[in-house]
Amino acid sequence: MKVLSLPPHRRHEALVGYLFIAPYIVLFVAFVLVPVVWGFFISLHNWHVLGEQKPFVGLANYRALLKDDLFGIALLNTGYFALLTVIPGNVVSLLLALGLNARIRGEDVYKAIFYLPVILSVAVVAIIWRWMYSTEFGLLNYYLKVVWEFLRLPGEFQPVPWLNSPQSAMPSLALMSIWWGAGGNMLIYLAGLRAIPEEYYEAARIDGAGGWARFWHITLPLLRPSLLFCLVMSLIGSSQVFGQSYILTGGGPHYSTLTVVLYMYQTGFSLYRMGYACAVAYIMFAIVLVFTLLQFRLLSARQEE
Amino acid sequence: MGRLVVKSPFLLAILVSLALLGGCSSPGGLPDNAEAEIRFWNGFTGPDGATMERIVKQFERETGIRVKMQIIPWATYYDKLILSLAYGGAPDVFICHANRIAEFARYGVFRPFDDLIASDPQFDVSDFLPNIWKAGQYEGRQVGLPLDCHPQGLYYNLKLFREAGIVDAQGNPKPPQTWQEFLETARRLTKDTDGDGRPDQWGFAFTWLRTNWITFISQHGGSILSADLKRATLAEPPAVEATQQMCDIIYRYRVAPKPEGFDSWMGFRQGRVAMAIEGIYMLSSLEEQKGLQFAGAPVPSFGPKRAVWGGSHMLCMPKDISPQRAAVVWKFIRYLSDHSLDWAAGGQVPVRKSILKQPRFRQMRVQYAFAQQLPYVVFEPASHKSTEIMPFYDAAIEAALLGIKSPQDALNEAARRIQQVLDRP
Repeated sequence: MKVLSLPPHRRHEALVGYLFIAPYIVLFVAFVLVPVVWGFFISLHNWHVLGEQKPFVGLANYRALLKDDLFGIALLNTGYFALLTVIPGNVVSLLLALGLNARIRGEDVYKAIFYLPVILSVAVVAIIWRWMYSTEFGLLNYYLKVVWEFLRLPGEFQPVPWLNSPQSAMPSLALMSIWWGAGGNMLIYLAGLRAIPEEYYEAARIDGAGGWARFWHITLPLLRPSLLFCLVMSLIGSSQVFGQSYILTGGGPHYSTLTVVLYMYQTGFSLYRMGYACAVAYIMFAIVLVFTLLQFRLLSARQEE
Repeated sequence: MGRLVVKSPFLLAILVSLALLGGCSSPGGLPDNAEAEIRFWNGFTGPDGATMERIVKQFERETGIRVKMQIIPWATYYDKLILSLAYGGAPDVFICHANRIAEFARYGVFRPFDDLIASDPQFDVSDFLPNIWKAGQYEGRQVGLPLDCHPQGLYYNLKLFREAGIVDAQGNPKPPQTWQEFLETARRLTKDTDGDGRPDQWGFAFTWLRTNWITFISQHGGSILSADLKRATLAEPPAVEATQQMCDIIYRYRVAPKPEGFDSWMGFRQGRVAMAIEGIYMLSSLEEQKGLQFAGAPVPSFGPKRAVWGGSHMLCMPKDISPQRAAVVWKFIRYLSDHSLDWAAGGQVPVRKSILKQPRFRQMRVQYAFAQQLPYVVFEPASHKSTEIMPFYDAAIEAALLGIKSPQDALNEAARRIQQVLDRP
């Protein structure tokens, strides 16, 4: 703190500033910082909630994780989910934002409609989509059947086992998640688009640039801060996917939707093996950190060119 | 205005730190005098909760001892219970399922009943069914007292049986008893009424795969773990044969739907499935289904041994309970056990021979039919890793019954993972 070296009136001002953020800092330290450090400490122990002794085991939990093939499956599943949601989800958000940016009639109505899912909690979304995805009674299969019969496609319609087959379960969760989250990024992209001065487009138009060229050479480069933000946040969000599989599939069928956070949760809260669960959390933290730094490098380096 | 702005964060910071301090202080010991109320936790959120409430009210009236019962949904029940046992605030008496006794007893969280039993001359251990009584033991000490048992049994639809002419000499619907009878019955009850080539009425359906599977493998002489609980045995021939038999019911004989996306239990309730193997606790869900005529029978013999999956609600006390309080709680536990006939009415089976013999229990037709299986009820393995290995066999059963893997491959994979867990110190 450089507060004390400041002249008195500035010191007072700085103090006021610190006091303003004090409530947040207190909460942050109590509920984020301390648990984060404490969690690392726990990860070095054989820490069963009920155990009276919680022996120190050093890095044994981390070593065990490296050999734990279920953790490997969870990592791959999480990566697969990120692959299915980050880029496609952002493309959807960007397309929605571009559409809304055309200043169409009833823009606010559309904005509200697209944004509405974002305010729902994952539990609500999952319960709604459970009914949509139900193989037997689901809305999706019902309409697919209607379309199938309307088009007189050959053979009989076979219901899609959305959440009940290892092949389709994860893509189903991804589709639901895109629907759920697209509205949030859409607003950020829309704000980004509105911040691009109209003159640039005018100048480009005078120089004879077409729609595609304008998008590629003006919109996209100037949208980079929004893109960076949305992509990083989506990646972090999707690497922490939990509620979807926790509520809809419980990690099944046959481990196909077991994600890292779900694995952590099951280890910590149904087996009460906190040491191992914290080690899972720390490895996940390291992976997310690496990806985030990479992404920052990649996207911000280009900006400086 | 400026002053106000300076002050309020101060105030807030103080409030926040006060709140934090408040949160950190321990709840303090509960009053330890015997007059204080008994705190009783369970997860009876269904009609069973109302039944329990009545018994508890009756106990309060008769003894003057107050009981504060807290019903917590099973989904979060153990989280709350375990945290209270670890960090304080545990109830005086609580329910623990038989299959989780070892997991928690390993950490010494229960107060054993042995001295209380010894000092109570009226309490007769031999009145309890021995196999279920033993399920409340850990390393030779009685840490749980069985309130009930909830075995599976065969539920069957009377109307569909009559329609298909599956009746005995008196014209009463006749539930199958052997594998051959089961197959024959299921075949006759599987019908394609609209002629689209796919059955729309099924003879049988697998509902809860895990417990159905435990019944099947146990009947074939298979098990999940060896008797010493050190070795995974679920990939050995008996269990594999049993799993294959379950697959055959679906894919070879085609008398049960693929469990994928078919809400089997709803199918039984709505009369689209003629037979299902489910726990006695599902009784109330059938009784509230309008127009459904059903009955219960012991599970047929699918293999050479008699066996059926079951669970049990154990009454337990926390280890740090004071002697005076324990004595009062013992009275309450005794009372619940003595009144387990009232408890049975809500869809449970009592585990005391004197109660099982009472005429009033005979009138509970389904409970009575299921109770005939009590001597050979099979619980999940009494290993302290029981909960931890469960997801592995769950996944294997699912993979086998959905045809994702062959029974042998699926069970091999599960056995490998379970062995890893067992070998870990």
